[in-house]
Formats: sequence, structure tokens, C-alpha cells
Amino acid sequence: MKLTKARALVIIAFSVPIAIELRTVAGFFNIDLPLIAIAVIEFLFLALMFVLYGLYGEGSESAS
Amino acid sequence: MATASGPARTFVERFPSEAGVIKANLLVSFVALGIGAFFGLIQALHRTDILRVIDSADYYTMLTGHGVLLAIVFTIFFLTGFFHWATARSLDQPAVSTLYSWAWFGLMTTGTVLATIAILGGLVPNLGISADVLFTFYAPLQAHPIFYIGLAMFIVGTWLAGADWFLSYRAWRSDNKGERIPLQMFMVLTTMIMWYLATLGVAVSVVFFLIPWSLGLIPSVNPLLTRTLFWYFGHPIVYFWLMPAYMMWYTILPKLSGGRLFSDPLARVVFLLFLLLSTPVGIHHQYLDPGIAEGFKFIAMTNTMFLLLPSLLTAFTAVASMEHGARQRGGEGYLRWLGALPWRDPAFTGMALAGILFAAGGFSGMINAGMNINYLIHNTLWVPGHFHLTVGTAVALTMMAGSYWLVPQLTGTKLYSRPIGLLQVIMWFIGMVFMSNAMHRAGLAGIPRRTAEPQYQNFEFLTPIGSIFELRVQIALGGTLLFLSVVLFLFNMLLTSLGEKSDRPVDEYLPEPLSGPEGSPRVLDNLGLWTGIAVVLVILAYTLPLAGIIQNGGGLFGGGLPIPATVSAGLDFVTTLVTTTVNTLLEVAA
Repeated sequence: MKLTKARALVIIAFSVPIAIELRTVAGFFNIDLPLIAIAVIEFLFLALMFVLYGLYGEGSESAS
Repeated sequence: MATASGPARTFVERFPSEAGVIKANLLVSFVALGIGAFFGLIQALHRTDILRVIDSADYYTMLTGHGVLLAIVFTIFFLTGFFHWATARSLDQPAVSTLYSWAWFGLMTTGTVLATIAILGGLVPNLGISADVLFTFYAPLQAHPIFYIGLAMFIVGTWLAGADWFLSYRAWRSDNKGERIPLQMFMVLTTMIMWYLATLGVAVSVVFFLIPWSLGLIPSVNPLLTRTLFWYFGHPIVYFWLMPAYMMWYTILPKLSGGRLFSDPLARVVFLLFLLLSTPVGIHHQYLDPGIAEGFKFIAMTNTMFLLLPSLLTAFTAVASMEHGARQRGGEGYLRWLGALPWRDPAFTGMALAGILFAAGGFSGMINAGMNINYLIHNTLWVPGHFHLTVGTAVALTMMAGSYWLVPQLTGTKLYSRPIGLLQVIMWFIGMVFMSNAMHRAGLAGIPRRTAEPQYQNFEFLTPIGSIFELRVQIALGGTLLFLSVVLFLFNMLLTSLGEKSDRPVDEYLPEPLSGPEGSPRVLDNLGLWTGIAVVLVILAYTLPLAGIIQNGGGLFGGGLPIPATVSAGLDFVTTLVTTTVNTLLEVAA
């Protein structure tokens, strides 16, 4: 599946709330993640997604 | 009606007069959205102390304007436009009288202008007009009379709009005896029956108490009575906002997904459940109000929990319909079908994202509804965090997303920009995640709502995770993204309406459901029966609490004007009669 601009935007939209609530999950284990750490994790996640799509993303955009 | 194989004609070509009325409704709705969103930005920056451009005293004017213009004007004018579209489309016939349609639109608009003048007058102290009474507008806060008069005109306008659709339905019924009510029409009718029932409370409050009080004709009102009458209306109005969004999720979202509605009968059941259950729950907004017995609050809580059912059914149906659409588009696997959905279409993506945040809003709503746990977050910033997920996203984002599909049908033009539309709905989603998440957290820390100055001397709010400063930055960042999103939306709508006529009009055809109305019992269409049951439930939920509030709370008009002895005796008689009857029934049942 090719990474279109639309898919990239949707991935960003879905991952932002998950990243924010990662602090809550970490808090359950007494790990205090600072906001900057969340920003870095989100950035790394998106970079990883784009790399994976670049490596394995095939096909056309016609499905969407 | 355009069909899958027939010639595709836009709505505006088939119903030009109705399209004019709908466009006027949407215009008022979008203007209110722009002004209300601007007020929201000023508030977000002010109370987080990021940027203060107004005096704190004016914050309450902004807060009232934000609430009224967004929660009432934007949503309800969109609803009246959308319902007018749905009525003509689903019945495949024009309204009974275009002049009458313009009359209710004119009344609603005049009322809106009056109420808005009263609110904005608060920014000009020399004018002597203000209405800093917040969206809830109950006593003891008092507004200028033109605010209440405008409000009354607005509500009567919605009643007349409902009558317009009922008249259309009657005309259709006379030509289509024995037919099942078309699904969208069914949804319009059930929603309006709920609205008639729910607005009785606020109409009584405004006409008999607040207008005479603001004019000086009566010296005081019973604050708890006006408060209870407000919440009698104040919770079902949530469903008046939500039901057009639900209608889009049920009837338009499956088509946008590339499939068909999963179940027509389930959709009808959901709308009937909202009709029955949405009004007898308002007391759950008054858990901390003195003067209402705990038992009535408990009943309101259980009724509220029942209301989760139609929302859960909707979540199931919407996801099932989307999955069907995705599989029609070639989607496979347990979850990979999600990738086959039309994420490039802002109409689809906006509605889907709105549904996701609505689920989160539903969870925080369960906290609000629970009597004991409500005490933790009552009147804190948690509450606006909750309703910015429900009204501010489930409803508002669905309405904006729906506009990307609806407005081109009304103008005969193409949507100006799908990429800008997509960016807009994504910005709304992310902005709302930031803002409402921080609001919920701030509420748990005890930060109050409805105040320009939430800080206290020698007291520091503490958060279990992160800092208060981070929460303030999140709220300000979210509010800014939301405002920019509205600017993009209005820009897109304006350029769409100014565009040239398209030779490839938007296809308004809605496919048949997978399970059609023939599979549902005919009793579902007996709206008289369901209305009767809804009325009985309201009487059961409200008669005794209201009688208690009037008897124990200083009469109908508070302490300043005792109720006449005859009225008092009459109320005593009614209270005794109802109590005796209930006790007798309980004994018989035992």
C-alpha cells in the first residue's frame, strides 16, 4: 500500500492522541515521561512509518 | 430521485427553492461558527494566560457568545438546513410552501440577531445591554430582555420548521398509504418530536419567568425551578445536536465508505430510543443542587446509563457499514480493510474521526453521569473537555465534514479543494485531542470551569502526570489549531459557493441498506405511540421533583412573590395524588 499524503495525515492524526496518552500508561508504572520525550517518540514513530512505507509500500493509490 | 443508473441531477436542480432555504440556513450557521470560533480562541489564550487581549470581565461575554453561537446557532441552523434537505430528498418532493419555509427561517434569524446583540452589547458598557449569562442562562444570572425574547423567537422558529417537515410528511403520506416512512424522514420526525417535548421546559422558563423577571414585572424567580427547567431541555438538546450527526453517520457515511447501511431497522430503533430516553435525564446535571431529593437524582442516573445503549448500537452499525464499504473497495483482513477506506475524502475522514473522538467523549460522559464519581469533576474543566469531544467534535466535525458533500449539491459547483478539506478535518481532530485531553486532566486536578481567573492565592493545583503549565500550553495550542481549522473550512466553503457550475455534479444517491425497513416491525413507524410513551416517561421523571422544588423552594417565583393559596392548594393536591397513586401501585406490585 502506497503512502499517500492523505494516509500520512491520517497516521499523524491517529498517532498524536496515542502518543499523548503514552504518558498516562507510563505513569501507571511510575515512569514520568516528559512532554519532550513524547514529541521525540512521536517523531521517531512517524519516521519509522515513512521508512517502512518507503521500503515495503507498493501498489497504486486507486484503492483510496 | 436520482438513481444509481438514472440521470444524476443535483439537489439544486430538482429543488431550487428548497436549496435556497437550506443555503440561507447554512450561511447563518457558518457565520456563527466563524464568530464563535474566534471567541473560543480568545478564551483559550486568555484563561491559559498565554495572550490576554481582553479584560477578564469581558471573558464572560466571550464565553456566552462562544456557547450560544456555537452550541445553539451553528448547530441548530445547520440542523434546520440539513433536515430541510433530508425531507425533500427522502420524500422526493418539495416543501408544502416555500414562503412558509422562509417565514420560520426569518423568525429564527431575527431571534438570533436579537440574542447576539444582547450578548455583544456586553462589550460596550455604555449601551446598557448585556447578556453575560453563559450558554445555560438560568437565574440568578440575568440578561437584558431582548436576549430572552430573541431566544423565544428562535425556539418558536424551530417549532415552525418542524411543522414544515411534518406537513411535507403528511402530504407524502396521503399519496403513499401503507408505505414505510423513508429512513431519513423517520429520523427527522423522531428528532423533532423529541425537540417539541424537550423545549417545553425552556419555553416555560423563558416566557413565564425569565422575560417577566428581566422586564421587572416580577421581582424574583425560583432559581432552582429555572435551573431545573433549563436542564429539562439542556440535556435533550445534546441529542438535538447529535441526531443530525447520527443521521449522517447512518445514511451518508456508508455511501462515502463505498458500501451500504448495515441495518435500517436498527437505525429506527436507535432514534426511537433517543426519543424515549433523552428527556427524563436532565436532573443528572444537578447532582450537586440542593433541593432535589437523592432518589430523583438516582433515577436520572439510571436513565442516563440506559442512554448509552443507542450510542453503542450506533457505533456498531457505523463501523459495520464502514467495514462493508471497505470490503466492497477491495479491503481484506481483520484490520487491513481500514486502509481501503477513502481517507482522501474529507467528508469521509472528518466523519470517521468525529466518531472516534465521540467514543472518547462517551467514556468521559459516563464519569459525568455516575452520581458518586461526578462529584470528583463537577464544575471543573473536565466538563468542557467532555462536551468539546461530543458537541465540539462528534457534532461540529461531522457537520463540517458533511458540508463537503452537501454544499456542492446545493450550489451545483465542485468542492474547491479536497486537500484543504482533509487538512482541515485533521487539524480539528489533533487540535481537539490536545485541548480536550488537557481539559480533562486539568479537571482531575480540580481546576474550575467558567472562570477567567482559575488561579487561587496560596494554592497550587497538582497533576499526577506532567505540569499545569504543560496543560495550559496544550489548551492554547489546541484552541489555536481549532480556530485555524475553522478558517480553512470557511475559506473552502466560500470558494466552493463562488465556483463555477460543475458539469459533473455530486451524486446524491444513497444506496439501499443491507437490511431494509421491511425487516422491522411496523410498530416502529407508529410515532403517536412512541410519543405517548415518551410523555409518560417525562411525567414520571419530573412531576414529583418539580412539585418538591415549587413547594419547598419558595413557590413558583422564589421568595419575592408567594404563590396564591389556590395554586398552592392545587399543587398540594397533585403531589398528594401522585404520591398516593405511586404508593398504591408499589403495594399492589409487592
